[in-house]
Amino acid sequence: MLQKHAKNDHRRHAGEHHVLNWGNFVSQLFNGLVSGALLALISAGLTIVYGTLGVLNLAHGALFMLGGYAGFVAFQATGNFFIAVVVGAAFVGIVGIVIERLIVRFFYNRPEEDQILVTFGIGIVIVELVRAGFGSLSQMVTAPVVVSPIINLGFTIYPEYRLVAFGIVVVALAALYILLYRTRLGMVVRAGIEDATMVDMLGINIQRTFMIVFGIGAMAAGFAGIINAPIISITPNVGDDILIECFVVVVIGGVGSFPGAIVGGIIAGEIMSLTSMFNPQLSQVMLFAVMALVLIARPQGLFGTR
Amino acid sequence: MSFLEIDKINSYYADSHILFDVSMRLEQREVVALLGRNGAGKSTTLKALMSAVDTKAGSIKLDGRELRGARRHTVANAGLQLVPEERRIFGSLSVEENIVLASLTARPAWPLERIYEMFPRLAERRTSRGTDLSGGEQQMLAIARALVRSPKILLLDEPFEGLAPIIVRDLLAICERLAAEGQTIILVEQNLAAALSIASRAYILNNGHVVFDGTSAELKTSTEILSRYIGV
Amino acid sequence: MTTAPRRRRFAFTAELILGLVLIISPFVLPSIGGTSDTLSRILIWGLFGLGFDLIFGFTGLLSFGQAAFYGTGGFISSYLLVSHTIPNVFIALLIGLVGAAIVGTLVGVLALRRSGIYFAMITVAFGEMFFFLENSALYPWTGGENGLPNVPKPSINLPGFDFAFDSPWKLYGLLAVLFFMGYVIARRIVASPFGHVLTAIRDNPLRAQAVGHRIQLYKLSVFTIAAGYAGLAGGLEGTLQSYMSPESFTFETSGQLVMQTVIGGAGTLLGPLVGGALWLYLRNELQSALGLGAAWKLVLGLVFVVLIMFLRRGIVGGISDLYHFLRPTASPPAEATVPAAPVGRPNTPILRRPISDRVVIEARGISKHYGGIIANEDVNFKVREGEIRGLIGPNGAGKSTFFKMLTGEIKPTSGQIFMFGEETTNLDVTAVCHRGVAKSYQINQLFPKLTVRRNLMISALSRARGEFRLDLFRNVDHMDELNADIDETLRLLDLTPRADVKVSDLAYGEKRRIEIGLALGTNPKVLLLDEPLAGMSPQERADTVVLLNHLAVGRTLVVVEHDMDALFGMADQVTVLAQGRILAEGTPAEVQGSDAVQDAYLGGVHA
Repeated sequence: MLQKHAKNDHRRHAGEHHVLNWGNFVSQLFNGLVSGALLALISAGLTIVYGTLGVLNLAHGALFMLGGYAGFVAFQATGNFFIAVVVGAAFVGIVGIVIERLIVRFFYNRPEEDQILVTFGIGIVIVELVRAGFGSLSQMVTAPVVVSPIINLGFTIYPEYRLVAFGIVVVALAALYILLYRTRLGMVVRAGIEDATMVDMLGINIQRTFMIVFGIGAMAAGFAGIINAPIISITPNVGDDILIECFVVVVIGGVGSFPGAIVGGIIAGEIMSLTSMFNPQLSQVMLFAVMALVLIARPQGLFGTR
Repeated sequence: MSFLEIDKINSYYADSHILFDVSMRLEQREVVALLGRNGAGKSTTLKALMSAVDTKAGSIKLDGRELRGARRHTVANAGLQLVPEERRIFGSLSVEENIVLASLTARPAWPLERIYEMFPRLAERRTSRGTDLSGGEQQMLAIARALVRSPKILLLDEPFEGLAPIIVRDLLAICERLAAEGQTIILVEQNLAAALSIASRAYILNNGHVVFDGTSAELKTSTEILSRYIGV
Repeated sequence: MTTAPRRRRFAFTAELILGLVLIISPFVLPSIGGTSDTLSRILIWGLFGLGFDLIFGFTGLLSFGQAAFYGTGGFISSYLLVSHTIPNVFIALLIGLVGAAIVGTLVGVLALRRSGIYFAMITVAFGEMFFFLENSALYPWTGGENGLPNVPKPSINLPGFDFAFDSPWKLYGLLAVLFFMGYVIARRIVASPFGHVLTAIRDNPLRAQAVGHRIQLYKLSVFTIAAGYAGLAGGLEGTLQSYMSPESFTFETSGQLVMQTVIGGAGTLLGPLVGGALWLYLRNELQSALGLGAAWKLVLGLVFVVLIMFLRRGIVGGISDLYHFLRPTASPPAEATVPAAPVGRPNTPILRRPISDRVVIEARGISKHYGGIIANEDVNFKVREGEIRGLIGPNGAGKSTFFKMLTGEIKPTSGQIFMFGEETTNLDVTAVCHRGVAKSYQINQLFPKLTVRRNLMISALSRARGEFRLDLFRNVDHMDELNADIDETLRLLDLTPRADVKVSDLAYGEKRRIEIGLALGTNPKVLLLDEPLAGMSPQERADTVVLLNHLAVGRTLVVVEHDMDALFGMADQVTVLAQGRILAEGTPAEVQGSDAVQDAYLGGVHA
């Protein structure tokens, strides 16, 4: 039942406008961009962790949810949304590192199914811990207002927070890009994706890098969770749907590919958003249909090599 | 006590016993060749030094420090550096990134200029991705990546394999120069002439056992040993 | 593990115990808090899990989307009943089962294009797609979020016999009978040749393919069967609750199935039932009795994580391991007690068939390029029937790539390959295997969790049954000719005393012999051996050379080997590859006398 609530919320946010006109179209296009960028950020976290550590983290959706709650708590305490974002993301990053040290690192040499199963279990534990602490009901995080809640763009009016959120997520993606492609850590991570043993043989403690990467992946999910909280109210199960959408994104984009996560995320966001203009109920179905098409035409994904 | 002392190591690849009581020693500034047929255990010996295979018994001492069972990056930072047979270049990284990556934990690291002076070809291709290099360039990069870490001992695993003669000649010249500059090297090589031209001493492995230990000059005249353990 | 020894006195112990438990439960469990409703639900989850265990525990495919088939079966049969299209509950259930199986085939065709994590993600996504379909496009039939109420209870209406399953315990009885039937069928499948191929796919899909099994068809078939089980379970839920809930389609349903199976023990068939029992019992107990509320799922989540970390075989697997630990079955003799001299093979002189003029292997100008790297270039190669051909060359000469092209594991960039005069250039490894060509690998490619006998059986089954056969109800233990062949191979490999030992427990030299045995088991006319002596002790080498000479009778052998003494002792002709090309070819003496060959090996150092 709970899950259904979350889904209803989701659908409401995606399908507010039914009338076909230019303004609505642009508005939906923006909605698609916003949710697409969010999906891209979460999927990037998932795909970097898989690419480097070889572990598909099924707790990723739960970490997204945890970010929302961590932000919610920080927001309650300080009343400052931007402090909430920083505190929440940092908290989830630390949780990620703890999970990696306590459990995940013992699974690097075990079969893929075991890795999937154990992270699935970790996800359930996180969800149920949050449920035990906060209950199952949804919590609201009020969107910060810079100028006014609704902005008139001339051809359409649009919620200000979504524009702000889009900006923040784009900055976060850029930061992730710079971290991966313009820093020494990024160099180690990219080399580790290719050949972790060789990196180790070049004197770099790859295990420590793994831990940091897992933390960064978790942080990306947590960060997105807080940014998303004012758009959809949060419940302990809010991560389930997100995880599945992330899977679609990485299947479309190609597992382990950072550009694939971004392009896949935007594609997924737009598919859901534009479909919901015509038929809100079909928006998710269309997403999976596109995934099936990609599987038939290009099983390794748009940017995948494997 | 020698600079590197390998004492009766027994190494395994999964459950297959590859090295049997292999002992070797190496002095500083020495170049030693490690010879033998395919599957004799030469690469495994180098991997055992790097902790890349499981070594269950014996000891590996570098400058008196025990390295058997140490983690790979610890071994690398202690001063052993392998140039693997498959080269294992990071294809998605540029030439320069490959070298800089290797230098991150090196104390001291070679300056990039010194690398590029030794491998002018790499300087020309510094922005190319690893995957775009030719086989010879990849081999140069693999050696450069090891040298930038100023290793105490350079472990070369078949550096000339599959390369055109002209490139072999260039690489051989570089190895000779390194030897002349005092770089300690263990060289695994099938090309016997090339190996013996730089190495002063040689070991021969056969089925995981050391079957010859002597100078290059001795080996060159031992027809019996050469044809029995290396030839056809 | 169901790899029980072949000669069993009584083969139905598990069925008997299950039957007794199902009969006794209603009389015992209510006293400790189990209601008829709880017991019935456990059976539905158990039935759902039987199918899932076939794909996960036995075939190694981790699907997170089984809810799609559970819901599909449930809604098809419930709709047919609620709309009065089909009055009979049993017929509706059957249609639901078939419908779910058809949907399973369609999803399987797409999802099975990938394996590992991709497969897991794709099944999740398809499961979710069905949830949304139920809620949107299929609303007129499924009732969307409301589901389908008033699903009737089953009844039997025959002339002169009317019986309605109108009480909870009667329904329990029906479910118990259906579960028992489902279990018996699953047991038969597991014991069948088909089931054995599934375990081979789980352990080593590449080798299963190489010994001649069309593994995609096996995976698709078992995926379909699992969907059928799911569909029936879904339909039963509808009729048990009188209500078909859209919850059945959720990711949570798929996830709960996975968790129950792992907690109970995957690969045991009864694991999902036990896991389901624990799940529902804990939920009831923790929720009401201890007043923990929603925390029951937290406890289960923790139990699940701990089990994955430390007891991967789950409860049933753990109990069975403990049982075997306490009661070792006729402890296998250690390697040392096996006589060094091969007892299985006669020490008579080997009578080789003369080499005929017929060319059995021919490569015409084949090349293989990887990007700019040339692995093989313009190789022309002919081997005549009955020959033992040696293939040597320095490291990186392209020997392994050449072998892979001959077996169809990789396609040449250019050139043609002929086996027995017929072109095989474009055939894959499975098809080439059935043309009578087999390879033993340089690095062991075995089925580690199966016994020695079962390993050899995987090869023998391909010979007996071809690329694919859906013989679900045949028992491998009753295939006498097949078992006689396996006994013969065991004797030849000198592994008879080790027949019932798990391969992962063998010594390296023994594994090496099974590696050859797997290739031999398909009864090839052409046997390619990639470094058969690698890693062997001198005694093992000598034994293996004797074995290879025996195998050469009536076969053609191509051997890559670095042990020159051994190779030159066996080979009629030797081909030398260097830098991807043929450098020399001739008798061992000719090759040894060739300056070019000595150059390639010694690099110009001539004493």
